[in-house]
Amino acid sequence: MSLVAEAFVSQIAAAEPWPENATLYQQLKGEQILLSDNAASLAVQAFLQMCNLPIKVVCRANAEYMSPSGKVPFIHVGNQVVSELGPIVQFVKAKGHSLSDGLDEVQKAEMKAYMELVNNMLLTAELYLQWCDEATVGEITHARYGSPYPWPLNHILAYQKQWEVRRKMKAIGWGKKTLDQVLEDVDQCCQALSQRLGTQPYFFNKQPTELDALVFGHLYTILTTQLTSDELSEKVKNYSNLLAFCRRIEQHYFEDRGKGCLPQHGLPRGAMSAPRI
Amino acid sequence: MAAPLELSCWGGGWGLPSVHSESLVVMAYAKFSGAPLKVNVIDNTWRGSRGDVPILTTEDNIVSQPAKILNFLRKQKYNADYELSARQGADTLAYIALLEEKLLPAVLHTFWVENDNYFTVTKPWFASRIPFPLSLILPGRMSKGALNRILLTRGEPPLYHLQEVEAQIYRDAKECLNLLSHRLGTSQFFFGDMPSTLDAYVFGFLAPLYKVRFPKVQLQEHLKQLSNLCRFCDDILNSYFRHSLGGKLAPLQLSFICVEYLHILLGLYKQNSLLIEEVCALSLNAGL
Repeated sequence: MSLVAEAFVSQIAAAEPWPENATLYQQLKGEQILLSDNAASLAVQAFLQMCNLPIKVVCRANAEYMSPSGKVPFIHVGNQVVSELGPIVQFVKAKGHSLSDGLDEVQKAEMKAYMELVNNMLLTAELYLQWCDEATVGEITHARYGSPYPWPLNHILAYQKQWEVRRKMKAIGWGKKTLDQVLEDVDQCCQALSQRLGTQPYFFNKQPTELDALVFGHLYTILTTQLTSDELSEKVKNYSNLLAFCRRIEQHYFEDRGKGCLPQHGLPRGAMSAPRI
Repeated sequence: MAAPLELSCWGGGWGLPSVHSESLVVMAYAKFSGAPLKVNVIDNTWRGSRGDVPILTTEDNIVSQPAKILNFLRKQKYNADYELSARQGADTLAYIALLEEKLLPAVLHTFWVENDNYFTVTKPWFASRIPFPLSLILPGRMSKGALNRILLTRGEPPLYHLQEVEAQIYRDAKECLNLLSHRLGTSQFFFGDMPSTLDAYVFGFLAPLYKVRFPKVQLQEHLKQLSNLCRFCDDILNSYFRHSLGGKLAPLQLSFICVEYLHILLGLYKQNSLLIEEVCALSLNAGL
């Protein structure tokens, strides 16, 4: 949005404290939500938990269409609706909560660079796997994406989304990549994250930041989602410090607080509700 | 390593060895790692292909796209990242992602979408290096490809108008430049004293933005305020690309000297002392 609109929104955001009834909207957890959306949603949930801000997760089939930017998740706070991790971080900062205030300029630059790396490689790889890999598309994605809708809407929406994603992949040069090349890229990305994390508990030593939330969201989802093959999660499992990192955040921010909103055994694939005729 | 490595890429101008970012990245990396590259500049004959430039050709391989070409050079033992630690290697990947996500849309917009820039500078330059009748089609296609890429990656709702997308991408690009400037600080290269892959990428993206003369220059003005980034580009140009540029100036220098001698012979020495001073100054500058 324009600079003026942004300043205006920040002003309004700063005026009120965080309410108790803030809600986060995402697609239906059991049957509809896909890998990339689940990762994004989990990243936002982790971030809000790290900031100690209460949030209620609500699942709606049309969450994607309710969102102001067309992407999930989005949060409904007071009378404002903000979607995607970047704007949510700004919004929360305007309310006076921030995880990255203690970083100096060089560290902030590094944090932003690593967040772009995750978006550029991990998120794009997830999208590729979901929408451009024929096996996954046929077995999982089409069925899940269109599950809340009656025939023929479920097929039409799924094909439309697939066409959109493939166009985007072609524009950024991923159209010609094979699955093996994509998995190579995921491996490279995980290696970079693992090397950056090293033996520290979080990426910027003692305190978690939005980068930790984003990385956790993506890696946890990759590890716990069952796809047609295990190649993607195997790439992540090669790096033990990343596994320990996910476990640490899960224990500290989700289990200890009794939230239990993480999928325990991964998203079940296949068995979905019978299409309504 | 014994096989000759040939690179096809777009040519140079405005003091640069190439005005195309991706070609420049590969050329810079080759200089940093000491790879002996034979550079074939694309001209308006029908020789060579124009798709997917830059392209590296060896005896048995054809490699396109900068990332793949750099990987190939590394496998041939031309490695500019030899001295980097594992963490610095990870940082390289992250900063390259930052460049591609935040800076590239604005650079593409400045070159290919902004109408004043595209019609007065970019299109004539590229059209002069493409044979007719392809010169009527190819620049337009490259421009549409750039616009497509910008809209597909950044132009999602609620940014419905191109103007709003433009504002957003220029804002992101300026932020990215500021971040790079903070990261570079006062050191000569991003990781100490030796240039590496990240320096090649940053140079490739920044140098055309810095040097090419455009009518609409908001991003260029912002870059010029970040003096350490400008100094970074100038240093690399002077240290690694001086000889290729000197080669181009030599005939010009020679012709000026001939003119000077002619004037002396014709006895116009006194009247043209100013001209001679200028010529000497030019010769000194060209020779440096």
